[in-house]
Amino acid sequence: MSNKNVGKSLVGVWNTKTIVAVAIGAALFGVLMNYGGIPVFTNTSLTTAMIVPVVVGAMYGALPAAVAAGVGNVIADLIGGWGLWFDWSIGNLCAACFVGLGAYMLMNRFSTKNVVIYIVLCVLGNGLAFGVVTPILTAVFYGSELNVTFIQAIYGSLSNILVEVVVGLPVLYLLSKRTAARTNLEEE
Amino acid sequence: MNNKLIINYTPGPTMMHKLTGFTKVFLFAVMSAAIISTFDIRLLVPLLIINVIEIVSMKPDYKPIVVMFAITFVTVTLVGNIMLFFVSPGVGLTNVGAEHVIWRISDKLYLSKEFLWYIFVFFIKRTASFASVIAFALATTPSEFASGLNKCGLNYKICTIVSLAYRTIPDIANDFINIRNSMMMRGVELSKKASVGKRLKNTVLILVPLIFTAFGKVGNIANAMDLRGYGKHKKRTWYAEHEKTRWDPVIRALTVLLLALTLYYIIRYRIIDPYPVDYWCPWVPREEIQQTNAIDTLFIIKWIKRLKGE
Repeated sequence: MSNKNVGKSLVGVWNTKTIVAVAIGAALFGVLMNYGGIPVFTNTSLTTAMIVPVVVGAMYGALPAAVAAGVGNVIADLIGGWGLWFDWSIGNLCAACFVGLGAYMLMNRFSTKNVVIYIVLCVLGNGLAFGVVTPILTAVFYGSELNVTFIQAIYGSLSNILVEVVVGLPVLYLLSKRTAARTNLEEE
Repeated sequence: MNNKLIINYTPGPTMMHKLTGFTKVFLFAVMSAAIISTFDIRLLVPLLIINVIEIVSMKPDYKPIVVMFAITFVTVTLVGNIMLFFVSPGVGLTNVGAEHVIWRISDKLYLSKEFLWYIFVFFIKRTASFASVIAFALATTPSEFASGLNKCGLNYKICTIVSLAYRTIPDIANDFINIRNSMMMRGVELSKKASVGKRLKNTVLILVPLIFTAFGKVGNIANAMDLRGYGKHKKRTWYAEHEKTRWDPVIRALTVLLLALTLYYIIRYRIIDPYPVDYWCPWVPREEIQQTNAIDTLFIIKWIKRLKGE
């Protein structure tokens, strides 16, 4: 990948299309977080919302994916009625950044190597976000019991990784095939 | 399922509704910061009352709010506290600073007065946070939200994302429900009758059409916005940001006062003269508080210590 492509995969191109896609991704995140999951315990559920950063990331890059997840989580909190929890929103934002990067690379070329990189980035991103960022923010801002936060974080990241890999990979495969079918241009 | 949503799309008739977007966003931000910054019940109760007054003054439809509160109460408060009781019954000691055991089941499992105080205060804090969110969501339309954020200095592209996302939620929720119903009619099992693996596989069947319909709209909306000259200039103005009403200066002044009080509280009681523990409690005098290190109670640290000891 050349330098220009690295920048593009991280920051994305912020034109009107990206803005609309990020907005729709955020709305989808909010809907899936409220209707598309089974609440298990405090702040956590086996939610399918983490599919949104995968799709947005695949099409537009890492930062749009992160913004979609962060704004989406705030909106989900606003319509879900469990109060605003910035610690989890920022955690989701960090995780989505990694996942989006992996998805974008996978979208460029759907190869075994990129699938492995994607899975590694999913595990790394979730571990960093929910194992480090969220517990620190929770301890500083909310003073929740850290044991419970860690249990939630472990459960949350495991379910996120499960969704990102088991649901995300087929969706990414379909998406890459769909865009490939529409264009026969090749990058030189 | 749609009546569960409390998003407000049309400007309402009451005083709270008529405020400008900036006032609402500013009030909400300061209110959230105040609720986050304190665990003191003497401050949380007034904050809760202010928010409840705001909600009542808007004369909303109470049914969805009550349903929402009930669901959150059962899933978050009830289940969370039962779990907390089994995982760490000692939170009373770490957060309140004393332990008066009233019911001892075994060495590691006991119920103390301070545990009950901890969950009570946390419940008040959660309810205050809930009330502030509901008050904000009831008062603010998506455009007002965006214009308020823009006036706070946020880039208008981010504001557009917020308002557009907020606005498309009912559409996408409808799509989701339609797709799920039609899939269920074709025999795709999503309830607990199917195994977890099967359910995950069936979820893909719903998500793929949902993603394609949702993102299929992107091109149309983006073209419509481009044709109207969106993103051409560095700044933009908002229809929703109207003239200040009579009440705007009053509410803004009160918000600044709340901000000053919050800052004073943080500096005075958390930096200059920190109270030894997070939670003030009426029956634990300050001199008798036992301080414990919260990190020592982490189960991971306990495991490491046990491994080292053996």
